[in-house]
Amino acid sequence: MRIYALAVYLFLYIPIAIIALFSFNAGKAATQFTGFSVQWYGKALSNRFVVEAFQNSLTVALSSALLATLFGTLAALALQSVTGKWRAVFDALIYIAVMVPGIVIGIATLIALVTVFNWLNPILAALWPLAETAPQLQLGYGSLIAAHGLFSLALVIIIVRARISGMDRSLIEASADLGATPFGTFVQVTLPQIFPAILAGFLLAVTFSFDDFIIAFFVAGSKTTLPIYIFSSIRRGVTPEVNAIGSMVLTLSLTLLITAQAILQRGRKSDKA
Amino acid sequence: MLVLPLIVVFVFSFGARGPAGGYAPGFSLENFMNLGARWAAFKNTMVLAPVGTLACAVIAYPLAYFLALRVSAKRRTLLLILVIVPFWTSILIRSYAWIFILGGKGIPALIAWMGFGSIQLINTPFAVLVGIVYGYLPLMVFPIYVSLEQLDKRLLEASADLGCPPGRTFLSVTLPLSMPGVATGSMLVFILLMGEFLIPAMLGGGKVFFVGNALVDLFLQSRNWAFGSAVAVALVLIMLVTVTAYMRATRRWAGGRADVSLM
Amino acid sequence: MTDKIDYISREKFLAELMRYKKGSVSRRHFLGVTGLGLATSVLGAALPGLRGAARAEGSIGDRVVLASWPNYHDPANFDAFTAKTGALVDLNVFGSNEEMLAKLQAGGTGWDVFVPTNYTISTYVELGLIEPLDMSKIPNYDAAAFDPRFAGPGTIDGKIYAVSKDWGTTGMGTNTSHTNGAPLTSWKEFWDITRAEFSGRTTVHDYQLTTIGNALKYYGYSFNSVDPKELADAEKLLLDVKPHLFAITSDYQPAMRNGDAWLCMCWTGDGKQLNRDMPEIQYTLGKEGGEIWSDFYAVPVGAPHRDAGYALINDLLDPMVNMAETLFHGQPVADSRVNAMLSAERLADPILYPAAELLNALEFGAAQTLTNPDRAELMARFKSA
Repeated sequence: MRIYALAVYLFLYIPIAIIALFSFNAGKAATQFTGFSVQWYGKALSNRFVVEAFQNSLTVALSSALLATLFGTLAALALQSVTGKWRAVFDALIYIAVMVPGIVIGIATLIALVTVFNWLNPILAALWPLAETAPQLQLGYGSLIAAHGLFSLALVIIIVRARISGMDRSLIEASADLGATPFGTFVQVTLPQIFPAILAGFLLAVTFSFDDFIIAFFVAGSKTTLPIYIFSSIRRGVTPEVNAIGSMVLTLSLTLLITAQAILQRGRKSDKA
Repeated sequence: MLVLPLIVVFVFSFGARGPAGGYAPGFSLENFMNLGARWAAFKNTMVLAPVGTLACAVIAYPLAYFLALRVSAKRRTLLLILVIVPFWTSILIRSYAWIFILGGKGIPALIAWMGFGSIQLINTPFAVLVGIVYGYLPLMVFPIYVSLEQLDKRLLEASADLGCPPGRTFLSVTLPLSMPGVATGSMLVFILLMGEFLIPAMLGGGKVFFVGNALVDLFLQSRNWAFGSAVAVALVLIMLVTVTAYMRATRRWAGGRADVSLM
Repeated sequence: MTDKIDYISREKFLAELMRYKKGSVSRRHFLGVTGLGLATSVLGAALPGLRGAARAEGSIGDRVVLASWPNYHDPANFDAFTAKTGALVDLNVFGSNEEMLAKLQAGGTGWDVFVPTNYTISTYVELGLIEPLDMSKIPNYDAAAFDPRFAGPGTIDGKIYAVSKDWGTTGMGTNTSHTNGAPLTSWKEFWDITRAEFSGRTTVHDYQLTTIGNALKYYGYSFNSVDPKELADAEKLLLDVKPHLFAITSDYQPAMRNGDAWLCMCWTGDGKQLNRDMPEIQYTLGKEGGEIWSDFYAVPVGAPHRDAGYALINDLLDPMVNMAETLFHGQPVADSRVNAMLSAERLADPILYPAAELLNALEFGAAQTLTNPDRAELMARFKSA
């Protein structure tokens, strides 16, 4: 059992170790080790496109996750009051939305946006006083955030709804009986109870968006996210710069994960006390 | 909002290819009649997605079991984090590491050095399968771990007290009770695998083709949006049918005990 | 510029500073003479926050986005361009003209310059995707210096839409250590050996024009054929060969270099680069014929950093820079000013300049192959088979 677990961990970590090892390669090739150096870390950090791709990824991940969490939570709450036939229809729609592969979402969003832009751009140009300066709707931040948000929305709805259905309804009734307004009940009773699910949904949405390549590949237009940058670096011929980026992202997320874990544990201890 | 893009794809799937590529409006079933031209991609996906899911489950289960029942609570957190950590590096970079490991100077060189002759691993279905298991293992470990961890340990003790050998206890108590976790994990991995594009693109050398790769090709190379939409619609339909059937089956099999959910 | 930094004295610097303050010299003169221009542009490149301060008059911005092909540019020339102008070059690599066209058709590429091949330019013009070049911004382009055979397709209806980058052929690269030293010499051999001794060791382009074209050559058909019967033959061959391929990829150098692949469908420059580093890899043309091509620089309509795009094209067409490029990427160039500087040995290199009888058998790609739905679908079927 122990040996088996060890073998699985080796399987999981050998590629990571190789990535980390070659990030310290002095040479230019990502597959032949010629000496130790940290130059690729410096190169990656001073590369304007890497920094920008990272910023883009972060912006898109945070905004799409925020939107998805907001609308997902609202939708989950609204769905509470929907019953009967409509409820089944909504359930089926969410169910379908979760099952659609990312690649189809990317393509679908691309088609939908390009079609809408082709309609709107001439109208905008005609309405604008100076045709030369008329705004052109284009793929970019907007389409990225929309596509990622859309993908995460269904996830958030499902997670939050699971929490709502597991919630103790008597508390809400008690709150109402004690004369609290519906809004007061929501803020003081419902929200604290579903908050962990909202947070979980948000984190999941951030993770997904930050790591997504395929949807961004279709709808990013001229914007470069980190996975897109990495993909085109691999096509250009990999230098250890890519390994350095990967190692840094890994270290960063590991630090965040451990910090979050530590905070949670402290929270748990103070709960007990 | 959620399904609006899907509706567009659905409408496009009845159209035609524009003269220079792209989309021209129209109504015909021709695109659906031509789906046979992508039969191999559908077949590859329909074979490798379930096989990959199964491989993930088989490899993940013992690990999840070990983590849930054989490790002290203190070390468990650390070991669980270690499972999820690889997931935080871009799948692109991780697959790239596998190109090196499975390429001519990696494992095949080792095998040749040991005197077992030369074999090719990279750009084969095997390489894609390794990439799949590597990429999706954590997604399988977690749901199984959760279901094993929630398991009432007293049941196991009771079974042992009643003279049941460990093997039987596992088969008749532990395994059935952890099936919801296996089902959830499998569903998650299966759904993601059906739309996979990157792993076959990187480890399959353009030779191991999934529907996802066919879609990328249709939209970004041959620019036949109408046919691409038809392929996308077909993929979504196949997934709906298989996943629904799978959920029905697991629910019946678990005798209504299991609450199989997507998440 | 660097020697100006070295030689400027403290007195001279102060004198120049006073002149600048009085307004008798321009800021550009001051920065140039004192070497501060270079310093600020380097700093500006390293520290994004300083970028605004570093902008001199007539600045072209801090970046230029170039869409091109694998192994096609000397990174040192980009670094030099950045040092000169402050604009960093963002290189995006593509494997086929179809991919570039698809991206441009979907819109919002963000490209400022891209590298299309001869036969695609008329389609780009028809679709309104590229702009007629403002030749006043490319003073380094001297039409008279360029061989019209290779530069000609860039001019449509008398307007120059694209300027010549380089030209080359599509042949095959053989690792001759597996063939007793003899390279392949025909497409018939190429497809046959792939199904025999070289099974699992051959790569073909992820590109319909060359992969289908060279399969057509197996039967002696035209490289550009769109005849349904001939295409059906080519498809049969390709499907038969597919299980024996190592990969379908336009970036085959890594596999050839590490020995995974022994034979590749190969462009001149890749053949030259591989042969330079590994002499056992030899580049040859098929005696049945095949493709001769020329590549261009073009500016897409709506390029976001248009000035920087023009500056980059102009810089790369500077005969000195272009010479460094051709020495790096190994494709011949059509510019006689560059060729006049190259060594006689280089100009006699059979990889770059094949014998006339081989060259005469080659065909330029035809515009119809780019938009022909049958060829596109054939390629997609071949890949998904």
